[in-house]
Amino acid sequence: MADGGWLDRFVDSLPTRGWFKFISNHLVVPLWAWREPTPRLPGGPRPATAPGDGLQRMMNLIMPLKEKTPIGRARVAVAIGQNLDALYTGLDNVGTIHFARFVIVDNNLCMMSVYDGDFDSYVRDFIVSIGNVFDAVLQFIEDADDVVPTRRNVEKFVAWVHARDVFQLPDFATDLFALQAAARRPSADGSPRPLTALPRAVILQLRANRNVSLGSGFRGYAGFSAAQIRQRLGIGW
Amino acid sequence: MSEVRLDNVQGNILRGYRGGLRHVRHMMLAVADPAAARRFLAAASRGGSVDVPAITRAPHWGAADPPACFNIGLTHAGLRALGVAEAMLATFPREFVEGMAERAVKLGDIGDSAPANWPAPFDRPDRIHLVATGYANSPGTLDAMQAAASRAFDVLGVRDGRARTERDVLGSDRDGDNLPARRVFFGYADSIAQPRFAVDGHAGSSSTRPLQPLGTVLLGYPTQLEGVFFRVPLSDELGRDGAFNAFRVMAQDVSAFEAYLDDAGEALLRLEQAGGPPLLPVDAEASFDRPIDRLGALREAVAAQMCGRWRNGTPVAVSPFHPLPAGSRKAFNDFDYRGATTCPAGAHIRRVNPRDGMIVQRNANYARQLVRRGTPYGPDFDAAQPDDRERGLLGNFLCASLGAQYEAVMSDWLNLGLSNPDVTGINDPLIGTNTPEMSVFDLRLADGLYHHLRGFPRFVTTRGGSYTFLPSLAAIDYLAALPG
Repeated sequence: MADGGWLDRFVDSLPTRGWFKFISNHLVVPLWAWREPTPRLPGGPRPATAPGDGLQRMMNLIMPLKEKTPIGRARVAVAIGQNLDALYTGLDNVGTIHFARFVIVDNNLCMMSVYDGDFDSYVRDFIVSIGNVFDAVLQFIEDADDVVPTRRNVEKFVAWVHARDVFQLPDFATDLFALQAAARRPSADGSPRPLTALPRAVILQLRANRNVSLGSGFRGYAGFSAAQIRQRLGIGW
Repeated sequence: MSEVRLDNVQGNILRGYRGGLRHVRHMMLAVADPAAARRFLAAASRGGSVDVPAITRAPHWGAADPPACFNIGLTHAGLRALGVAEAMLATFPREFVEGMAERAVKLGDIGDSAPANWPAPFDRPDRIHLVATGYANSPGTLDAMQAAASRAFDVLGVRDGRARTERDVLGSDRDGDNLPARRVFFGYADSIAQPRFAVDGHAGSSSTRPLQPLGTVLLGYPTQLEGVFFRVPLSDELGRDGAFNAFRVMAQDVSAFEAYLDDAGEALLRLEQAGGPPLLPVDAEASFDRPIDRLGALREAVAAQMCGRWRNGTPVAVSPFHPLPAGSRKAFNDFDYRGATTCPAGAHIRRVNPRDGMIVQRNANYARQLVRRGTPYGPDFDAAQPDDRERGLLGNFLCASLGAQYEAVMSDWLNLGLSNPDVTGINDPLIGTNTPEMSVFDLRLADGLYHHLRGFPRFVTTRGGSYTFLPSLAAIDYLAALPG
């Protein structure tokens, strides 16, 4: 059939039709997910093989609030505000942080930061530097009671942050197949996936990870550590 | 915090045996019959058996060294195979649960060093349950230990169809043997700097280096990081006095290393003959500890700056232009990198142990220290007749947290150079994952400026390894008494 025939036009229009969207969301996607179990993938950047990939890594930590009300949001805002100087001094002492900021989105406290090096080391150095201050913030966060005090629960807190740091979709879209296959081990058959399976893989992953980072992010001056930039600016590292 | 009970601690954690015992064998064991394995552990802990070597404990030996030592480490799979309950297995940290092969990218085990290229028995990391290590002055004693182990475990890496007690097994192929003068391959004197602990008889050399808290290497004690405790696995009582170990088989390409030093020395000689800035002051070779020509001195200076020590152990931070006469190890250990040090930031020993020097991670100066126990394996190298036979180092890197210490050093300091902005993005020159196209090392010239050294390959390749837990004697007794 020639392009532009009525059937082509009909098929192309399906994604915009309400009945089709309803069936897709409530029937087809759950069926796919049942046929093709897709585990939730861990958050944060993945270990890097090239030294340059180990710099300026992004953390998007989403911490649901215990109290999901204006007062609850205000409580955590006050906890951050009262400790801001200590938090910023501590972040400075970690030495590998480019930027960090605290944001409230809906009923989540989010900590967005850009850091150098290994994720586990970053979180551990964070605990050493400001664990006692951050403990005061964690009292307002859901499912955080077991990790406080953080200095006595180092391994648990690293895992806790890892679980709440959002999954970063790979910069090369098809790399998602390998990540999914690794997560499905040993049941994954390891055979190559056709490119046409990519949209479905993305949908199933977004079903498992509601919040994601779309790639590893833009860098205005890639390949430099925080200390290298400070050194070049002559402001001490 | 009560005092450490040395009788509860395995001897190889706080003490090196290499001074008195020449030969080392690491036996990779699999549990085939859990009951037999547990009986072996019970006998090894109890001691006094003619069939099972006794676990060597930490109390000071006094004047007479024992004729042999024996210690064990368990993998996570090994703990499970012995019957440890799932709830107890879950108390171990993630990196130990996953194992060394799973952590390959973080450790720089990529390319030729990738676990997919590891030979047996490291090609099946899940099969390795227990790493038993024997130390003795005769291979026959090690054979007897292996024969004893083979009665309770499957000895992995044994070649098909051969009796397990014959010499022709992986164990004896890769026996560690001391080289003369406590050298390791590449020719450096080794085991000079180790953390010192305030424990009776274990303060190490007479160094004046600061004492480290026991939590640097033993579980259940305060760490270098104020207020920070690493999780004690199993239970507070059973996990206490244990340690974690990263065991590594590291092949060293001595021919490539010496050939590169030849090339670098000649290039530097040509540079200074053409009027370029010299690496060493005029006549520096006259101050060497042995007769040497200018070219020889230059190649030795390259080797020294890459390592941070001259090959006889003299720190470059102490003597930048020539080695000092081989003296006491104390003299070679009492230094730091404060101020304008003459040791390049990229030098191997400065990366792995920055001492008091300024580093980016301001809380981490002594926090990532490791106890290192290494023994060379393979035939000695004759520079007059270079060959490519496999040789290298059997390394044990002991610590209270593999993640916070061993992996943090490997990923952030050795392979990323994150501790100092002058070397960030540059791999360690000696053991980093280098390629001739990308490698670079900044040599410090006599005038204090730097010269980029390029084109060196990867000199060290990982051939296998395993993360193990070195349980306390109480924990070994617990494992030996498990039901089922």
